[in-house]
Amino acid sequence: MALQTLEFTFKSEATQGIAKPWSHLGVTGSGDLEVLMEKKDLGGDVKAKVITPVKGFDQVWERMLAKFVNDTGVGNVSIEINDDNATPIVVYMRLRQALAEAQAEEAE
Amino acid sequence: MDEMDNTMIGRGRDAIEMIVDEGTFVENKVGDADFDPEYGPGSVVGTAKLEGTTCTVIANDAYAFNERFPVVFGGVIGLEEGYKMATAVYRSMEADADKPLAEKRPLILIVDTPGNGPGKMEEIAGMNKSTGGYQLALAEARKAGHPVIAMVIGRAISGAFLCHGLQADHILALSKDFGTMIHVMPITSISRITKMDIERLEELSKVNPVFAPGVDFFYNLGGVQEIVNKVEDMRPVIAKHVKEVAALKAAGEYEKLGPWGRGLLGDERGGRVSRLKAIAKMNEEFAAVADKYLNA
Amino acid sequence: MRSWNELETGSFFDANARERAVGMVDKGSFTELLGPLDRFMSPHLPVLGTAVEFDDGTVTGVGLIGKHPVFVISMEGKFIGGAIGEVNGAKMVGSIRLALKTAEDLKAAHPDDYEERRPMVVISFETGGVRLHEANAGLLAHAEVMDAFQDCRKKLPVVSVVGSKVGCFGGMGFVAAATDVIIMNEQGRIGLTGPEVIEQEMGKEEFDASNKALVYRTTGAKHKYIIGDCNYLVEDKIGAFHAALADVAAKSMEEIEGMRRIGSLKLVQEQQGLVKLVGDMQPKDSMDLWKYYGNEDPAELPELTTEEFLKVVKRRVRP
Repeated sequence: MALQTLEFTFKSEATQGIAKPWSHLGVTGSGDLEVLMEKKDLGGDVKAKVITPVKGFDQVWERMLAKFVNDTGVGNVSIEINDDNATPIVVYMRLRQALAEAQAEEAE
Repeated sequence: MDEMDNTMIGRGRDAIEMIVDEGTFVENKVGDADFDPEYGPGSVVGTAKLEGTTCTVIANDAYAFNERFPVVFGGVIGLEEGYKMATAVYRSMEADADKPLAEKRPLILIVDTPGNGPGKMEEIAGMNKSTGGYQLALAEARKAGHPVIAMVIGRAISGAFLCHGLQADHILALSKDFGTMIHVMPITSISRITKMDIERLEELSKVNPVFAPGVDFFYNLGGVQEIVNKVEDMRPVIAKHVKEVAALKAAGEYEKLGPWGRGLLGDERGGRVSRLKAIAKMNEEFAAVADKYLNA
Repeated sequence: MRSWNELETGSFFDANARERAVGMVDKGSFTELLGPLDRFMSPHLPVLGTAVEFDDGTVTGVGLIGKHPVFVISMEGKFIGGAIGEVNGAKMVGSIRLALKTAEDLKAAHPDDYEERRPMVVISFETGGVRLHEANAGLLAHAEVMDAFQDCRKKLPVVSVVGSKVGCFGGMGFVAAATDVIIMNEQGRIGLTGPEVIEQEMGKEEFDASNKALVYRTTGAKHKYIIGDCNYLVEDKIGAFHAALADVAAKSMEEIEGMRRIGSLKLVQEQQGLVKLVGDMQPKDSMDLWKYYGNEDPAELPELTTEEFLKVVKRRVRP
């Protein structure tokens, strides 16, 4: 019944770091999640930590996060996720949005 | 002990007689104000002596039925009841307005209530104002120096306990042997609403003070100051707490009393250790940016 | 996040807690306190297997309206219905206490123009009250908030802002009632007992919780405005709430005290007048009361836009 904590490290080509020191996006609502990204010197790697009530989906998380890292070439970033039963599609979409937020210039 | 033989549930009026000096309770009179006996019958207000000291008594009447507001029975606090209780508090302050701190009369709250009025008329008129109004009155009286002691004799349930009890300086409760109930919801309802597994919740409810019903858990959280183990002890223990509270007020130690004091107690007793850390961290973060806001 | 300019013209109802917090104060002035980076999550949810949030579902921080420091508490209804537990309850209380301390500091630092710097507390409610997963701690936090409100009386304004999906119910329903000023949009709802519970207590014939129009008539902003429980009814724009807050900030404490519903014997007596009316009338619907206050065609009121409604509505006249 207790929450699961999953931790992953992804090797990255580290073509892009994030612009802001940290950035946050989303709400841990039913079927949704929040993402906290922090710029960190990880030798190019991406570290990810997921806290979720759902059991048995470790590999799905790993695949979605790996796909995100590969697709975006992001590196030197720590990603933390609080999840509440989001589907893989929502996970991927939120990660892309979170990255855009982390890269965004502050708009007027 | 067979709890059903000893329970004080539904016996608010008996409790008044057990607690105050014999034959001193005068119902429907506080200071110069008289209360209409027909109004807000689910609550009992009046004046009595406790070890010779004049005090205001506010209790629930589980056997009264409010004909204008039929959801009020069994000790429910309805629209009229909340405002009647608030009025008793304001009249107590008024009566002692010119008296020195040491002579501010104690307010004794005898708590046995299952809820606030849950009806349509209640929502149309705004039951939130009735219960909120009583709480603000109690907070004002407490800060004005009146010792406010709550004695839970039966049911202290959720919003009704917030209304009648949780604004006191000190809260006392009869032990669980008397069938005393302090909670927001029974485990079965928590399970239904949160869709959490009932067996797991029941298992956790034996050890987890933060969500599980029970007097002992509220004690851990600082929500109950002292547990009273015998009905005949209610009277001396209340009198003792009146003196303790009055002494703290004389020393200006208001932060050790009331809801904030219960927070400190919850930290000390280990039941609520996160709240003070959160507040300390906020203060620290504000201090770092305060200049921007103090000298805008 | 959307830019401040976009937030100002955007819907309040659709905004999340952080967007509301940023948009209700002056541009670029908001600093979040105990934000997501602190990861100050509920210590009680993991053992129950319930998802956590970095800010525990409530955004707290400080911004400015003019020179007034504004301590904002903004609840997120998508996270466990915006319910109050130990940590987010402490964030609420901590914010109010910070405002009180700031008032003292400002009085000392700026005795000559204190009035235009007087701090304010703004609470954007979106909550059903106590978080059942940590019910006892949540309940005790409600009492702490009420206690802190009383400390603010006549010193600094505490303002409720209600206009989000979940509304403001349970214990937080009376917390909102106990503030100085209430600002709502048309979608805002405040009550003590939620519609489902009333239905359960009274039966479906008396109160059908699935009848959305009935629910809005009973607890919605237009009803609250008519009976005097809502001080400002504004358009559903974050900027409209910002403007109403600026209006409150500019008032004297005496004027602000005059906007209250409860908090004195005189106000209690005034409310008892309303209770007597309701007891005598035994209304089947809020519309009975709207008619009593002079609205000839009460059934049309829910259909009107906020602007039209404000032009024609008749309200309870205070004695």
